[in-house]
This record gives sequence, structure tokens and C-alpha cells, in this order.
Amino acid sequence: MTLSTLQKIHEALERRPEQIDEEKRNGKIVVGWVGYFIPEEIIYALGMIPIRLGKGGNEHLVELGARYISSQNCAFIRSCMGMFVENTDPYLQRTDLLAFDNACMQVFRLGEVSEYISKKKVMFLGIPRKLFSQSSRTYFLEEMNHFTRKLEEVQGHTLDSDKLTKSIELFQEIRRLTLDLYNSLITRDVPISWNEVNAVVHSGYYLDKKTYAILLHELIEEINSFSSLPSNCKKNVRIIISGSPIAPGDTKLNDIITQIHGTIVGDNLWSGRNMSFNMQMKSPSIAGIADAYLNRIIHHSLPCFDNELDNRVDNLIQTVRETQAQGVIYHTIRYCDSATLKTTGLKECLKNEGIPLLEIHTEYSNSDLEAIRTRVEAFFEMIMATEEMGVLA
Amino acid sequence: MQGKIFAGVDIGSLTTKSVILSDGAVLGTSKIQTGIYPEKSGEEALKKAMEITRCQAEFPDYTVATGYGRISSPYADETVTEITCHAKGAFFLHPEVRTVIDMGGQDCKVIRVDKSGNVTDFIMNDKCAAGTGRFLEVIASVFKVDLDSLGSMSMQAKETVPISSTCTVFAESEVISLLARGEKSENILRGIHHAIAQRITGMSIRVGIEDAILFSGGVANNVGMKNALEESFQKPIIVPSFDPQIIGALGAARVAENRYNS
Repeated sequence: MTLSTLQKIHEALERRPEQIDEEKRNGKIVVGWVGYFIPEEIIYALGMIPIRLGKGGNEHLVELGARYISSQNCAFIRSCMGMFVENTDPYLQRTDLLAFDNACMQVFRLGEVSEYISKKKVMFLGIPRKLFSQSSRTYFLEEMNHFTRKLEEVQGHTLDSDKLTKSIELFQEIRRLTLDLYNSLITRDVPISWNEVNAVVHSGYYLDKKTYAILLHELIEEINSFSSLPSNCKKNVRIIISGSPIAPGDTKLNDIITQIHGTIVGDNLWSGRNMSFNMQMKSPSIAGIADAYLNRIIHHSLPCFDNELDNRVDNLIQTVRETQAQGVIYHTIRYCDSATLKTTGLKECLKNEGIPLLEIHTEYSNSDLEAIRTRVEAFFEMIMATEEMGVLA
Repeated sequence: MQGKIFAGVDIGSLTTKSVILSDGAVLGTSKIQTGIYPEKSGEEALKKAMEITRCQAEFPDYTVATGYGRISSPYADETVTEITCHAKGAFFLHPEVRTVIDMGGQDCKVIRVDKSGNVTDFIMNDKCAAGTGRFLEVIASVFKVDLDSLGSMSMQAKETVPISSTCTVFAESEVISLLARGEKSENILRGIHHAIAQRITGMSIRVGIEDAILFSGGVANNVGMKNALEESFQKPIIVPSFDPQIIGALGAARVAENRYNS
């Protein structure tokens, strides 16, 4: 079943490059960004068009990117580098200015090299290594102010506080709606799959933000209008996906999970739900934005900035409980070391909570397709056998 | 004769195996080379195993296919992964087993098993061929000896020549260099077996090891590998008297029996 709003989103996405061309003719500047802390609210409030960039699932782009960046950068970063080199992505082509943060040093490296490849102006946002100390907050606010001033110089006018307030409201609304969309997956027999939700979230990287908010509203209303559907999903194994990003174009793991009757009920991915989660904006100001971004629960492909205050594991356990998931598939992209190195500790923590974890370590080629299928299938068999034992006991 | 007939078919990358069970007893087994069409290999192995049993039934009452070729098995009632099947097969033979090390043609796995024979955790090698039958085939071709001789040759070693690479391609180059340097074949082979054992030991840390440990898969027939694993783990390793290469198919037949009865 395809929801009619999904079709509308698809059509809006098809029209979007031309729409951006029209806006550019009217003087709009497109800011393409890669990172986790780039304040889209500020870009939007200045009258610019923020576009989140990134591509996965394409081995050719990885190979192309590896000619310009070390092959020991993760497949996603090499793929993004390949995207810059190939320069056929319609959104990258329309980008006037590029922005990167250095939370992940591989993203920072991508930014550095892309400056030479793309010949576009590149801006960097510095991120403190210890997120929660007072000096970190001061540093990050300075970085955010500096980033804003640079944007103002490009745009030719200063940031208007009313426009910033409205922009924050719009982005917070999108985040709230995105979380509602993910929450709909918790219900059994829901007429939308995680793969579709993921595609919707990815379309939000590119669509006009007001249009996107309206479409999200419509989609959630349409989902809510469905009564319980007859389906065989009840026997499916309920899974949370965590780990490295699953970028637009990368469907390998999700497809396998779906093919062998798994149901993905949520994620905490950088490329997915995590961007909308736990964003508390206390004041409509640059300081408020800086604090909100720093206070977020960071995604798993970032390093452990602060071991004592790292709340990612607790949050993952909470997500598993809330979604009634039966296990976690921890997706690690080759050379995404920050995610990969955490696997053993994370697995142990989850095991103590009775939550099984399967690590899938992969990249974008299809050579390991069947090996991944076997692992995921065996993981599901293990979960089902454990549950059957529980029922019998 | 007889009760219901249950079959397990394990279509591996190099060999296809089948086991026929009835009333918990093995009636027949077969083992053939996997051809380019896994579906035909599975059918042929099943047919051969059924012929050996001389039972009147033309087809088993329930068949489970496993191994990489399981996705092309229209003759099977169900498919189950080789991870579950190896655990079930090993547990059937040795109920005290809590860890299974399976080294097959193209992958190796460490599987943890509970007291009911269910899988509690597992790890598989990913893209690398180290520690697999294919790796040992390449090494055997360098020494120009049969695959079956590798283990016994390594047992004649007086010392161990360290092998720094377990990458199949680099290890092959390294072995050629060592031979050129005048190192003895048996010492190099012992080093090869130890390098693989070290790799398996490293892998197993991710899932933990608990006694008793059973070694299954075609490589388990290699006495040098068993010896190297025992030295690396500092623990005894069980290689079952039942052909260890057929344990996956045996497990599949056990799953078939359980499914049918439940």
C-alpha cells in the first residue's frame, strides 16, 4: 500500500531542483551542509536555502572519492567525496556555499578536500570535544556567532531576531512532526514502513521547509486515519537500527531486514531520527540554538566526547523499551571507527538488559549481501528461539 | 521400517551435504561437490542420502535446507541458517557443548549455545577468507600437496615459523618468500595453522568462549588446525567422530524433526 501523501512528497521532490533554480534567480543562496551541529535555523532565517548533502549505497562514488581522500575514511565520507568529484547530484550542483562541522573529523576532512575539488566557498563550525563544560559552551557560542557573521557577510544583511524566532518555530515543528512519524512505527499494523519513513526524512534534506512541514502534517493525518490493518506483521521481529548513518541511496541493510520479515520500528541514526530527537530550544536566540545543539543526545557514529556524561547507551535502551523492539542491529560502516569501536561495550550493556545486539559491519558493495542476510536471519532465529523458550517456561 | 523421515540439506560453497533422520537416528548421509547450480546439488545430495537409507518413501516427510545455497531449495519445506543448524547438530551429538567453532569453505563462525541447544550469540568472519577452507586450499596449492595432507604435515614441525598475514593473497606471497628463504615446509605450515587459530581466537573474544568447545565444518578434519586451536585457546577441542563436515546438515535434519513434531 502506498499512502497518497508519499506520492505527493515524491512529486514535490521531483519538482524541487527547478524550484531551487527559480529561487536562485530571485537571489536566494543555497547552503549545502554536512555535519551534526550546522544550525539550519540560522541559515533559513537569513533567507538562505539549507540543503543537507550526502549520499550512500554507491560503490562507484566510494571508489571515485578514494582517489582524493584516504581510503581509510569511512565509505560514507568517501562516497560524499565521490559525489563532490562527480558533481552530478542536482542539489550539490545548485549549492553556492558549503558548510561542515568537525564533530566527526572525517566530515571535517571531507570539507577541507571539497574546498579544492568544488571551488566553492567552504565554512567550518568548530565543535568542542567536551560538550558539557562551561568553557565548551562559551567556545561553541563564539563559534556559532562567528559562523552567523560569516553567513551574514555572504548574504549581505544581518540576522533578524523575528525571522530567527519564526525559523526556530518552523524547525522545531518539523522535528516534532518527524518524531510523531517515527512514533507511528511503534504501532503494529501501521500503513507505513521504516523504509518509507526514512525516505521521507531524507526528502526533508532537500524540500522547502514550509512545504515539508505541511506534507509531514498531511502524512501523519493520513496515517492516523487508518484503522488497524489486516497484516501478518505481528510475527515479524521488531528491530531498532543504530550505528553509522544510512544515507540516501543506501538501502542494502534495510532491504534485507524487510525481505526476511523483520520490522524496523525505530532508529537513532545521524541520518534519521536522531537529528530531531531531544532538541530543547530554551530561547529563540543564537545562544539558545547553541545550547540546544550541545545538549542533544549525540549519534553513535560520533566519538565518546565525554565518557562520564555519555547518555547514548541509556537512550538506546530506552528507545528499545518504548518501541517494544526485540533486538538492535548495530550498523557500522567500514572505517567508521567511532561507531565500530563502541560495539563490544554497547553489546555488553544491552546484554545486561536482556537486549540482543547484532553488529553488521559493511560498506556499499554488494559482495557481502548474502553474508549479511545469513547474519540477520540467524539473529532473528536466535530471537525467536529465545522468545519461544520464554513462552514455554 | 519405520517412523517419519526428516532430511537436512546443507548446500555449502564447496560441498553439499545431506543427512536423513528418523526417530532421532541417522539413517543415511551424503556428501558431494557443490556444482554451479546449488539447487541441483541440493537435490542430488538429498536423493543420494535417501537412496542409502533404502526406505520406501520417495521423499522425506519434512526437509530443511541450510548453507549459502538454501535460498535455491524448492525441495525444502523450510530454510534455516547454517548458524542455527551447526548449533543444533553439535548439541545433538554433544549436549555439553556451549561453543561451536565452524570452519567451512568460505566462512568461519564462532557460535555460543545454551543448555537447550539454542544459539545465544555468534560471530562470522566478514569479507576476509582467512580461516576458511578456501584459504587452506590456496596454501595447499602453494605446497603442491593435497588439502587433506596439510594438517598432518604441520604436525611434523619442530618449530613454528611465524606468519604475519592471514590475508589469503598476502599469506600466499609470504609463504613463497619463506620457502625461497629455505624454511621447512612443515614449520611454515604449522605457522599457517597458528595464524588462523590466532585469528579465530581474536574473533571469539567478541562472543566469549565457554566449555565444551566443538569444532565443526570441513576444516575440522584437519588435525593440525585442531591442535593449533587447542594451543591458542588453552582448552580441549572436541572433533566429533561423526563427520564434522556434516554437522550443519545433521542440525538441519534435527530442526526438520522438531518442526514436524511441533
